[in-house]
Amino acid sequence: MSVITAYRYLAGYGSAAAWELLAALVAACVIAAAARRLTGKDARTPRGRLRAVGWDAALVALSVVLAGALGWRAGLALAVVGAAAVIVVFRPRLVRPATAAVLIATGLAGFALTRTASFGYYFGDGVRQAYGVAGVGGPGLTFYLLLPQALGFLLLGGWVGWRSARSAPAGRRLLGRLAEPEFAARPWALLLVPVTVIAAAMLVPNLWFGAFPAGIIWPVLLTGATGLFIRAAPGRAAAASVLGLIALGLAGVYLGTTYSSAGWHLPLNPAGYVEYGAIDVTSQPMADLAVIEGLVFAGVGLLLVPRAAPGLLRYVGVAGYRDLAQRVQRLTESRAVAVDTAAADLRRLERDLHDGAQARLVALGMHLRAVEKLIPTNPDAALALVSEARDTSARALTELRELVRGVHPPVLADRGLADAIRALALDSPLRVRADVDLPGRLPAPIETACYFAVAEILTNAAKHSGAREACITAEHRDGALRMVVTDFGVGGADAAAGTGLTGVERRLATFDGVLAVSSPPGGPTMVVIEVPCALGSAAVSS
Amino acid sequence: MRVVIAEDLFLLRDGLVRLLEAHGFELAAAVDSAPGLLAALLEHKPDVAIVDVRLPPTFTDDGLRAAIEARREVPGLPVLVLSQYVEQLYARELLADGGGAVGYLLKDRVFNDDQFTDAVRAVAAGGTVMDTEVVSKLLGRRARDEPLARLSAREREVLELMAEGRSNSAIAQRLFVTEKAVSKHSTSIFTKLDLAPSDDDNRRVLAVLAYLNG
Repeated sequence: MSVITAYRYLAGYGSAAAWELLAALVAACVIAAAARRLTGKDARTPRGRLRAVGWDAALVALSVVLAGALGWRAGLALAVVGAAAVIVVFRPRLVRPATAAVLIATGLAGFALTRTASFGYYFGDGVRQAYGVAGVGGPGLTFYLLLPQALGFLLLGGWVGWRSARSAPAGRRLLGRLAEPEFAARPWALLLVPVTVIAAAMLVPNLWFGAFPAGIIWPVLLTGATGLFIRAAPGRAAAASVLGLIALGLAGVYLGTTYSSAGWHLPLNPAGYVEYGAIDVTSQPMADLAVIEGLVFAGVGLLLVPRAAPGLLRYVGVAGYRDLAQRVQRLTESRAVAVDTAAADLRRLERDLHDGAQARLVALGMHLRAVEKLIPTNPDAALALVSEARDTSARALTELRELVRGVHPPVLADRGLADAIRALALDSPLRVRADVDLPGRLPAPIETACYFAVAEILTNAAKHSGAREACITAEHRDGALRMVVTDFGVGGADAAAGTGLTGVERRLATFDGVLAVSSPPGGPTMVVIEVPCALGSAAVSS
Repeated sequence: MRVVIAEDLFLLRDGLVRLLEAHGFELAAAVDSAPGLLAALLEHKPDVAIVDVRLPPTFTDDGLRAAIEARREVPGLPVLVLSQYVEQLYARELLADGGGAVGYLLKDRVFNDDQFTDAVRAVAAGGTVMDTEVVSKLLGRRARDEPLARLSAREREVLELMAEGRSNSAIAQRLFVTEKAVSKHSTSIFTKLDLAPSDDDNRRVLAVLAYLNG
């Protein structure tokens, strides 16, 4: 007993030897595949293996459902279920995409059944058919289960297909820009397909799954063209789907409220009635339903505007308020960081001066006072103290020098960022090639921030990368300073883990600057900094 | 020996003048700005100039640039540059013309008047004097390089002192060894670094610095 015979019994069909043979074959294939998957040595967790078997079973079961929806012709059913079995056994990679395809095909077949129910069956030659859990073959309650099921299959198929396509390179190529994360997060563009379908059906009744071949060619052409448009320009498609949804809604309201039994005379629509989504507007109650459906469409469209088409809002001038609010928040954050950093720097400076140079100067004064007293009585001891005093003053100088270097490095003050970067390259324990093209000076605070950013990155490279060589490029182009520091070390640097780089990033954010790190295992590590700023007059010539 | 001093802080300028006069130098001029320095150098053609890097009018590296410009006008004019900081970038620029007779020292070195006046005399005599900090940074940067790694610890010490511009006898004194031992080390260093040997102290220093800078 397999899934096929079980399903056929449930759907009310008798049995025949051919069906039993097919069922037995499929069952054997599936069991063989499951056994291999559960015992195989592929790198999967036990849970992953179970899941794989689950997908196999789902594909076979759904292919049976599809065969049922296609009318249980022996040849067709054999082709569909056999293809599923072949995929399960020989092409396990394709199981998920195939599941998606079967789901979508089942959904489309369901729509075809709903549309053709009143004209005689498209596939079934008037015999009973099974669609999912519904029998189709005469008037009955189960008929009303068709449409929800078809929608469910279609949505599920779309979702599975989307997921499996995104995880495979070939699928990503197929999806084009839709595979990019920003669009994956906002799949509203896909709404354009149903919107186009409904709009076309309004103009031309029986367009969808009507008489062959137009009933097939038009839907395929139209959805194909829509799909291509979505793939090429998801942003525009999202905006178009939202606008289309609103327009559809308004059209529905208009249709419903102006309905009269005389019907319409539309140039493209000789039928005299309009298909509006799930409703054929052929009577007053249906017209009332159309108004409700229209209101739902328009409402959903309006709700989606800020998310699916934020550009639209800006265009209308209603609000770039979301962007502005975000910008204000970023500015507030970066200002807080800037103020905190400045305060912390000042505290550090004060402490260093207090504990270092200041203390040494006090010691120096005390030494000199002692020397004063010792000279008449013990000149040798005085001499020793003087030499000690000299050491103290030398140390005070060294400390002050380090301090000033940390506040505002001398070369930066003297020459500007270009030479300061060259000096950093020279001072680094790595061999650093500096390729700097900055024919003028930048605003001083930006120069300082960028200098310390490069210094921090070079220090990191020297400490952690194991590299012997690095290179720095800096240039000013299109109103922004762009610096790239690359080291040829082991890679694997994590910007989030190193507090040093996080600090640099925050400081740069004060100037709307950004920092990005690319560090694949095995290297090279590349840090890119971009700060929007204006290039001042030419640097003082050197 | 006639000296021109350029230093904008009165206290320091005064201190330098006293120190040098106490050691028998003759003061040709003491100026407090870069344009003044250039004029004084071209007018007095001193035996050696002692120049602060940071001078008016812009208080950046005016002194350094004036010194380099003066050496362009009067090739080989001995200049000893003093600074609160030493920068390898500036050391490179001073050494760039390859002529020698330059010095680059931290201001702190004035504290040790004997060593300081030795350095002034060495520069006046056409020698090259580099601050310990510059040399140790240069060596630190090249520490992982193959030829330098082949040097023994003692040879590295000798190399360091050589790069600072010290003569064989000074190095011998400093390391408590004989001059002969130093010259043996220096021959070995030059072989290992694949440099052309030279008996001339000056040329040796320049060769070593050029190697480290390369």
